[in-house]
Amino acid sequence: MWAGGAISDEDRLDRSETGRVLRRSIEFAEPYKRFISLAVGFVTVSTICTVAGPLLVKYAYDEGLEKQNAMALNTAIVAFLVVVVVNYIVGRQQYLAINNAGEGFLRDLRVRVFDRLQAQSMAFFDRNKAGVLVGRMTADIESMSELIQWGLLQFVQAGLLLAITLVVLAVISWELTLVVLVVLPILVVASVRFQRQSNEAYLDVREKVGHNLSSLQESIAGVRVIQAYDRQDEQIRRFIGTNRALYDSHLHSVRVSVWYFGLVEWVGVFAVALVVGVGGWLSHQGSITVGTVAAFVLLLSNLFEPVQQLSQLYNTVQSAAASLHKLYGLIDAEPDVAEHPKPVVLPMRGALVAHDLKFRYDGAERSALSHVSIEVAPGERLALVGPTGAGKSTLAKLLARLYDPTAGYVTFGEIDLRLASMASLRDRVVVVPQEGFLFGGTICDNIRIARPGATDAEVAQALDRIGALDRFQEFADGLETEVRERGSRLSAGERQLISLARAALVDPAVLVLDEATSNLDPGTEAVVERALEHLMTGRTVIVVAHRLSTVRRADRIAVVDHAKLVEVGTHDELVELGGRYSALASAWARSQPNV
Amino acid sequence: MELARPTSGWPLLRRVLREQRRGLIAGMVVGLLWSAGKVTVPRLTRLAVDNGVIGRESLWFWSGLIAVVAVIAGVFSGWRRWIAFRESRLTETRLRQQLFAHIMKLHVGFHDHTQTGQLMSRASSDLQQIQGFVVMIPITASNLAMVIAVVVVLFTSQPLLALVALAPLPVVNLLAVRFSRSIHPAVLAVQAEQAQLATVVEESVSGVRVLKGFGAEGVQAAKLRVEADDIRRESLESARIRSKFLPALDLLPNIGLIAVLGIGGHRVLDGAMTRGQMLEFMQYIALLIFPLRNLGMTVAFGQRAAAALLRVNEVLATVPEVADPPKPRSLPHEGPPGSVRFRHVTFGYDPASPVLRGFDLTIAPGESVALVGATGSGKSTVARLLTRFYDVQDGKVQIDGVDVRDLRLTELRHSVGIVFEDTFLFNDSVFGNIAFARPDADQADVERAAALAGAHDFVMRLPDGYATVIGERGFSLSGGQRQRIAIARAILADPRVLVLDDATSAVDPSKEHEIRDAMATVMEGRTTIVIAHRPGTIALADTVVLVDDGVVAASGTHDELLATNERYREVLATLSEEEREAAEAAEDESRSITVRGRDMVGD
Repeated sequence: MWAGGAISDEDRLDRSETGRVLRRSIEFAEPYKRFISLAVGFVTVSTICTVAGPLLVKYAYDEGLEKQNAMALNTAIVAFLVVVVVNYIVGRQQYLAINNAGEGFLRDLRVRVFDRLQAQSMAFFDRNKAGVLVGRMTADIESMSELIQWGLLQFVQAGLLLAITLVVLAVISWELTLVVLVVLPILVVASVRFQRQSNEAYLDVREKVGHNLSSLQESIAGVRVIQAYDRQDEQIRRFIGTNRALYDSHLHSVRVSVWYFGLVEWVGVFAVALVVGVGGWLSHQGSITVGTVAAFVLLLSNLFEPVQQLSQLYNTVQSAAASLHKLYGLIDAEPDVAEHPKPVVLPMRGALVAHDLKFRYDGAERSALSHVSIEVAPGERLALVGPTGAGKSTLAKLLARLYDPTAGYVTFGEIDLRLASMASLRDRVVVVPQEGFLFGGTICDNIRIARPGATDAEVAQALDRIGALDRFQEFADGLETEVRERGSRLSAGERQLISLARAALVDPAVLVLDEATSNLDPGTEAVVERALEHLMTGRTVIVVAHRLSTVRRADRIAVVDHAKLVEVGTHDELVELGGRYSALASAWARSQPNV
Repeated sequence: MELARPTSGWPLLRRVLREQRRGLIAGMVVGLLWSAGKVTVPRLTRLAVDNGVIGRESLWFWSGLIAVVAVIAGVFSGWRRWIAFRESRLTETRLRQQLFAHIMKLHVGFHDHTQTGQLMSRASSDLQQIQGFVVMIPITASNLAMVIAVVVVLFTSQPLLALVALAPLPVVNLLAVRFSRSIHPAVLAVQAEQAQLATVVEESVSGVRVLKGFGAEGVQAAKLRVEADDIRRESLESARIRSKFLPALDLLPNIGLIAVLGIGGHRVLDGAMTRGQMLEFMQYIALLIFPLRNLGMTVAFGQRAAAALLRVNEVLATVPEVADPPKPRSLPHEGPPGSVRFRHVTFGYDPASPVLRGFDLTIAPGESVALVGATGSGKSTVARLLTRFYDVQDGKVQIDGVDVRDLRLTELRHSVGIVFEDTFLFNDSVFGNIAFARPDADQADVERAAALAGAHDFVMRLPDGYATVIGERGFSLSGGQRQRIAIARAILADPRVLVLDDATSAVDPSKEHEIRDAMATVMEGRTTIVIAHRPGTIALADTVVLVDDGVVAASGTHDELLATNERYREVLATLSEEEREAAEAAEDESRSITVRGRDMVGD
């Protein structure tokens, strides 16, 4: 209905922000300089051609018809034909040039934003809502593609056309131009007002569409409860309310546009009346020719259309600038867990040691960990236990450098993890998340995530090493099974096996496990247990434990409570001690009698 | 079971248009007046030039006349726009309302098989397409009238010149049709690639722990580059299509102008035509450009609208399978209410593999029964059949001696109250959520129900008490609190039979006893079926029924079954293990990241 994109007041950029967005955009557009200068050239030529048409008509009238000169008429005709053909050819090229530049720019923007996003630490992902991050990469960038596809071109073209037409009109008759300029301000004022009103109306429509859709979605998602309580009629009654509000909002936006488009229509025809009336009078005076009147009638649309287009594009350009501002902000955010400029390769084996660690989540009032020191010897199995939220998972993440500690440091083989190269760190220390998250692609692709260079045979070996190869080879497509197509049919246990196979493929010195808590049927449970046992053999293991059985298999147990390490020792030692752990163990023993 | 397959959406459109015929006709009349005004402008210009500028007649008369026409054109142009959009939005709004009402009445089996997103897109983007077509109806009618009028005017004044000048214009129309047709798939291809990129971003964000854990950012970065390149490729393809058509659309009317200048100019020199007539021709050609493009777009829009209408009609034509009986009976009012009887019930979500096979169960009024069974044993299905979410394949389900299929759905569902396993709260106040089954309930009723369900105290501690908005976008409650709200909702409905699908997995174990107390209060003196997962809940019921493999495998008290039935002990052990793990998973969710659907806002 009008050029897409509306902008709310809080998104509007101030002058210095606009300048920054512009500077960064020029930087980003650097590789596409050639396309951009081509596009600008083509647009200029095309605009000149558009204005030349009516001028040639004037020439035909004045030199050909007035003076009864057939040669002049024929010259005008041929010239017009040339101009039209040139305009056509240039018109085609300018689309291609501007799109090559624009789509290239967007492609680079997508890649750079995503790369920077991925370089961020876990803390960043804790801080920022997933939906917002995804929105930056999708909606924010897509909102600009419309602008790039036709808007930018139109913006430049409209501006040029307006300027050139005004100059041409003034040159052929400044008196008549002054008359036309009487109506132009009306159109400009109306356009500015309309742009503001339509922006507000559009924002309101968007909000109402949102309400309407969420009420629809809620009712569909809750249809079972609605039917169980015979609430259909009440829900329908309420939906009619939001639906009606949306209708009213649409009508308001139409009302805003109705007077404007009516006015535009009036201005167009009224200007013809003015040109004919005043122009006719001027020609009676002998100061202009009939050809000039004809040219003015034909050129009028070049004057009024650009004003409309510019006002409609204004919102689109502004909202694109707001999107760019957010995206550049993301690109400029320095990752807080970054690789050291001169990274060191970690030794193959070594003790993992926490030195007086302190950690506080961003914006949290209390520290998640304070004064935690512990040494895990090569090949040792350490179980971290404690109540939910005590800090045991945080400790595990610090030991793998998913976060950097607020104070203190972690070493592996006596090297501070912050000095280590990311590649060697991820080769030595692997974190196996509790949920077996799957990416799009095959089972094989999903395991290979852990070591992109691995061959199919190595992937199969990794599965074999944890005793899970047969299970996946039984599938009709074997390891080439698409996980998304098979979808939810890949059971929780199978997903965990894939997760363990990833770790096996890396073959790390240290394994950090967050023990799975999801439901598994007893058969799969046993398979996963076995796989885990295979995986842990011969490695340093730090496990965030939820089960007594896992804790009993550990060499040592560390009890984390209220952000502190409260007890460390073997099962027997800690039971003997009669503290936190012994209470926890006896509670477990009651609820898990079969262990 | 799934969507109906009507062959055409046009009957639906015909019906809608018939309802709005007055508005649409008004739009066309106003549009015709606008056309009439516009068509006179070039003629008046010619008369003004020939008689006023070149000839020495009154100039002011002619230009004054044009100024009058300017006002007419302005007024009717705005008016036409107003009516066209008002009518099309009315169509959209009415259809959406009908869709919603129908969706609410479609049986649960339909919803099991239909994704929410599918229904959403019918109620949003498909209706947009239809709206886009309806708006064109009055506009196209007046455009068409204008084209015909111009053609007639030109041919009557200069037939040969008209023929030459207008020859390229039908091509404008043709190209506009072809352009709309070829750009549409290209735009869809770009959108499809954008969706694929969105998938990569979403999985990278939700799977960030895996990526960080293995340092596998590079894999996703490579995937993203592929998708970003695909988007660029498809976008450039659509730019290529635009570049093929749009400049050509600008070119063609100019060819007409050149023809006028060539042929007309020489005729003027020969004295066979006036200069004003030539300007008139040029203006008429310029006047035709937009209506012709518009006609082309209407054709393409019509095709898209037809597809959208068909999809909307698929939903509207689907008949609700669970509906009121033709001759409904009523529940008896004498005797103690609430006896439930399953007589040899066979049912499967897929009829070929029944979940219940000859299921028999009798519950006396006021009795409470706990259904115990492994996951997939069919115990939850029992509740869904009782409230007639599905109809049995064989056998019958009776409440107080009446087959549930003989009852009006309203009466049946007022007599059976269910507390679902997954507590669904609406984005509404606490009050609204509890008064869900009885929107007319007053504050005292709601508070009484909440107090019985053990919810009153925590509700009073919420920021706005009963007015606090909860649900997906509101104040977030704990699992136990949600459950107590759901119980209060069931209490307020005051059903003959209460079904509690006990998902205490969402509840902090230390709060479990509060829920249990609430349940015990509610169950007193009311026929209750408890679908139980933990021993504590089972103990609340008078009798325990072990459901295994679609039949009642054993029944008795909890202690009896524990002592005598090996399978019962097995099932209990599995359930408690599942419970504990699910509870921990629920707690750990507090830090997990969820990706919400991308905004479906479009207009």
